[in-house]
Amino acid sequence: MIQLVEVFGFLSVILRGCTLALQTLAVGGVVFLLLALREPDRPLTRVLRWSALALALTQTLFLALNSAVLASTVGLPLSELTGANYFTAGCLTIAASLILAVLPRGRLMLLPAVAILAGTLATSHAMARLDQRPTLAAITLLHQAATAVWIGGLPYLILSRRPASHPVWKRFSAIALVAFGVLALSGAALSYFYVGGIPAVYGTAYGIMVAAKVALFGVLIVLGAVNYFGVRGNGLLTRLRGITEAEIGIGFCVIFAAASLTSQPPAIDVAASFVPAHVVAERIAPRIPSLYTPPVSLLTLSSENRNSSDLAWSEYNHHWAGLVVLAMGLLAILSRTGYAPWARNWPLLFVGLGLFLLLRADADVWPLGPKGFWESLSNAEILQHRLAVLLVFAFAAFEWGVQTGRWTSLRAALVFPAVCALGGALLLTHSHSLTNVREELLAELSHVPLALFGIAAGWARWLELRLPVADRQIPATLWPVCFSLVGVVLLLYRES
Amino acid sequence: MLCALLTAALPLWAHAVLLDGTPQAGTAVTGPAFPVTLRFNSRIDARRSRLFLVDASGKEQPLSLTQSAPDTVTAHALGAKPGRSRIRWQVLSSDGHITRGEIQFQVQ
Repeated sequence: MIQLVEVFGFLSVILRGCTLALQTLAVGGVVFLLLALREPDRPLTRVLRWSALALALTQTLFLALNSAVLASTVGLPLSELTGANYFTAGCLTIAASLILAVLPRGRLMLLPAVAILAGTLATSHAMARLDQRPTLAAITLLHQAATAVWIGGLPYLILSRRPASHPVWKRFSAIALVAFGVLALSGAALSYFYVGGIPAVYGTAYGIMVAAKVALFGVLIVLGAVNYFGVRGNGLLTRLRGITEAEIGIGFCVIFAAASLTSQPPAIDVAASFVPAHVVAERIAPRIPSLYTPPVSLLTLSSENRNSSDLAWSEYNHHWAGLVVLAMGLLAILSRTGYAPWARNWPLLFVGLGLFLLLRADADVWPLGPKGFWESLSNAEILQHRLAVLLVFAFAAFEWGVQTGRWTSLRAALVFPAVCALGGALLLTHSHSLTNVREELLAELSHVPLALFGIAAGWARWLELRLPVADRQIPATLWPVCFSLVGVVLLLYRES
Repeated sequence: MLCALLTAALPLWAHAVLLDGTPQAGTAVTGPAFPVTLRFNSRIDARRSRLFLVDASGKEQPLSLTQSAPDTVTAHALGAKPGRSRIRWQVLSSDGHITRGEIQFQVQ
């Protein structure tokens, strides 16, 4: 049962992220159709209905999982769980989503949209607080509504396929500007109440994650501003579409980071566990990678009570991975100079990385450890690692084909940026243990920059592929640099 | 990133934080009966939360708990044996998060 609760902890963050994303799509769709488009559009209405149905399904899954874990750990029958706040709120979200999925297009759609937001609000940090509950609830509601209006409306804008001269671009742009203002102000207020001060920003995992959200929000502002002025100038449709796609991608990364925040206690509540500045400074101080690996015989192979050899083993893995990633980034930069055409084969280094991970990710498994290869596949975690390695190999083949011109399809070229950005988003979403707040924060110090550089590299490469040729210079320069920085962060990774 | 993802441990579902309580971790209480009070950082659904007294042999005794404040649950431990003991708790906060924890102490 303990295992079930732990796996559920991981699943619940993913489900929470999906719920927030689908809520954003559903509510954002209602606002877009009624306020920005203002004309019937059957395909877009269909997208809205499917978003609402998917939201109902995700919420049902969450409710079922939460109830199953609760029922089995506290020994209560289902009838006793139905009165719980999360259960009532979940039912409200499900009912409102189903109603939204069948309602004809019109202002009545606003009612289930508001009910969906109310359902999520009822299970937010704000409603569990002891003080200032109404104020925090109002701010949270505004924050989520503004997210839905801006980020949730963007996919509909792209899918509407209206020309750049159509008034929907200007109308949505004006609505998004208001939503941006509300989002920024409500975000600042929530940070004030939940983070509290600068020491919490660098001294807690919650604070670091808020800082990551702010950084991504900064990128969103830049992209939004380019679109805002593009819509009012002579914005080419291809440019507007490309930038809007990146805005959508980064917007949904922020939503998944928010899901991660909901699974952690607000920083202000763990003041006694703040990691002091000197400890943080000591951990992030650059140190030359030792590239030393202890023998497997010295490892405890336990996730708890790890010894110095376990730490050195993990650091060695990160450092070598960093060297390979840095080499790939530098070769990608070199290949763009035109002086070394052979450097475009840089994705082949992924094969080396895959082999390295295959050997080193699980030290207790063949060929290094006592567990046999086939025997180890019955372990879910090891199986996941093996599948991830397979993905790395597939990734290498894909991107090598693209870089060397063997595959000319745009879809094939978009695989690399999509996977890069998705990896970054997953790294942001991974949830946190309270068993060791200090170590969790210190791990975040390297994970969050990795995630941010990964997301930046992915979406910059996406922009390079999607923008008109004349606009590609900045993203084309940016993504290999960000990719190289992922390697640098890995090289500086420390656990001791 | 992949390396970091591969090395990231599966997390615990963690949200409510124990701010204060009795008995405190690492202290000694006089048995066999003593009060148990746990105060958290958020509103707790006591009806769907559980406390257990675990003795040195690992034997668990469920404690009947009541809610003395929105953020506080209380119970009365009876029949505690001398030696190392633990209070094992699992609470449901009003935002739907399940959190578990333990407090180790000595019964005299």
